[in-house]
Amino acid sequence: MNQIPVTVLTGYLGAGKTTLLNRILTEEHGKKYAVVVNEFGEIGIDNDLVVNADEEVFEMNNGCICCTVRGDLIRILGGLMKRQGGFDGILIETTGLADPAPVAQTFFVDEDVRRRTWLDSIVTVVDARHVVQRLEDSHEALEQIAFADVILLNKTDLVPADELAQVETRIRSINATPVIHHTQRCEVGLDMVLGRRAFDLDRILAIEPDFLSEDDHEHDDAVKSVCLRTDRPLDGVRLTEWLQRLLVERGQDLLRTKGILSFAGQDKQYVIQAVHMLMEGNFTKPWSPDENRESRLVFIGRNIDELELRQQFDACIA
Amino acid sequence: MSLPAQQGTTSLLDRAGTGRTLDAYVVGVVFLKDGLLAAALGDGRVAFIDSESMNSPSFVSVHDGACLSLAVDPGEQRVLTGGDDARLVSTGTDGETTEIAAIAERWVEPIAASRASGLCAAVFGKTVSLFAQDGTAVGAFDHANTVGGLAFHPKGRRIAAAHYGGVSLWWAKQSTQEPKRLGWPGSHLGLTWSPDGKYIVTAMQENELHGWRVSDGADMQMSGYPTKVKSMSWLPKGRYLATGGAESVVCWPFHGKGGPVGKAPLDLGRGFEGLVTVVAAHPRHDVVAAGYEDGATILVQIDRAHTVVVKRPGKGSVTALAWSADGRHLALGTESGFVGRIGLSDWRTPS
Repeated sequence: MNQIPVTVLTGYLGAGKTTLLNRILTEEHGKKYAVVVNEFGEIGIDNDLVVNADEEVFEMNNGCICCTVRGDLIRILGGLMKRQGGFDGILIETTGLADPAPVAQTFFVDEDVRRRTWLDSIVTVVDARHVVQRLEDSHEALEQIAFADVILLNKTDLVPADELAQVETRIRSINATPVIHHTQRCEVGLDMVLGRRAFDLDRILAIEPDFLSEDDHEHDDAVKSVCLRTDRPLDGVRLTEWLQRLLVERGQDLLRTKGILSFAGQDKQYVIQAVHMLMEGNFTKPWSPDENRESRLVFIGRNIDELELRQQFDACIA
Repeated sequence: MSLPAQQGTTSLLDRAGTGRTLDAYVVGVVFLKDGLLAAALGDGRVAFIDSESMNSPSFVSVHDGACLSLAVDPGEQRVLTGGDDARLVSTGTDGETTEIAAIAERWVEPIAASRASGLCAAVFGKTVSLFAQDGTAVGAFDHANTVGGLAFHPKGRRIAAAHYGGVSLWWAKQSTQEPKRLGWPGSHLGLTWSPDGKYIVTAMQENELHGWRVSDGADMQMSGYPTKVKSMSWLPKGRYLATGGAESVVCWPFHGKGGPVGKAPLDLGRGFEGLVTVVAAHPRHDVVAAGYEDGATILVQIDRAHTVVVKRPGKGSVTALAWSADGRHLALGTESGFVGRIGLSDWRTPS
């Protein structure tokens, strides 16, 4: 059975999510989507299958307090798989006030979902004009940025250029990793949004810690990114043990963790990806001989003590 | 009764059965009166086939989308199906369809029917709706969360609904009532009620089963599964509960005092590839049919752990199994649209 790509669309109320969704559904791309929405009405496309969902967030009864899943998605994705060859991809629109973690964790936790689908990316639409205010008064807006693989910084026509640059810097301080597109009315090439494979361990290499400039810590955001890096090989056992312990102890605060790591005595890259406490790690492709074997590890979360993490990371150098 | 002996690698389907494709995911199969087999399909059709020849199926387009659930109408002459088009429909073997109910935007699954009371029940999201045999609505019970599992008490006068946080028990013909709650943290996805009415067992998101003794609410946990359990079936008289979700047919003993508490389950049908997806206990004998994710299907005899191959691997995961009421025929369906039927009337006792 072919696996079907799933794209999650998030964004605070009024940011332009529905505009993006309608754009994806109406543009000529020859693909058919199943769309999971929270309310009908604003979209309605004959060619595509629209499924109404209640965001039913369930705690897993496995002793992990932050491990929540979307029970409705598990059911809906299972039901959709009974329609063979009915569509090429699935779009999940979350409500403006939703925390993206349960959606992402569903793709880590549920085997049926994993077997039949793969999480392509989390796309967050951000209102360039109002986002700074939203970040002050809404933790959901913060989390939606923290979880994003792709950000559409939308309504850029309503914001002067210097202010826009500040907004982007602010977003980067929260989440250093996403690709950011400046848009008006969500106009963007759909290949920038769909088929990103952002959760694919083989493709996680788009970690660009250079975006994090050292001098923008003036905002005391509850959520920030920390990028750790080293050119020296790491002790694989020590590092994975540390990470596992860290995610168990601090997983509630650590929203997302991504890393490409170079282990001593190992030719292949070790790539990790985590949502809260749920981690996946694997050796992927070999480092090429002319490549700088730089390990990069990014934490996005709350209450992060950068110095402490850096010391613990350095202690894993072989 | 004894199972036929395994002959080399020949399957019972080769020896004493026949099959065909229906070209769509088989959501469920059931036997009706007069040897007709009905299958609900992932493209919204219901197929009626003469189970003897398996030739010339007649198709009825019932749902705009996929059939999600299937049950035999209590009268055994029609089938009930729920769809992702939010409709519950009764379909006759002549192709006549009657919409029993529709609630906009709600997928209809699961559904259940009771021969004992003549009632049928269908889940519309968070609501369990009850219908008399003529399709008249006789009750609707709301829950805080979506209902994943549904079963009637064997006498059909009470219905149990599984949801997040546990199970709610409702009397079928009482208009105002507070349900009896059986609580356990977590998401309960499937539900079965033992044939003697004493036990309720749910399948959970956490790859385990949870059971309650209905009389006093005593809890029991049945764990150790590598995946979610999606299929449960009681052996005659409720002696064992056969389950899928593992690499073998796991059967929990319910015949002793205290049910399965403190007892190890039987672990049958090992040695086949992959996970058991569907189980169906024989209506009269201690025999379980089990379908695997690789398409293989076997029969296993509980007390002798003797197995015989019904179908070799291939044609997609087994998604549906059903016995005829007299236990002489077994039907199976797969995700790729294959349906097969074996006859067991000419079984010989192995010497």
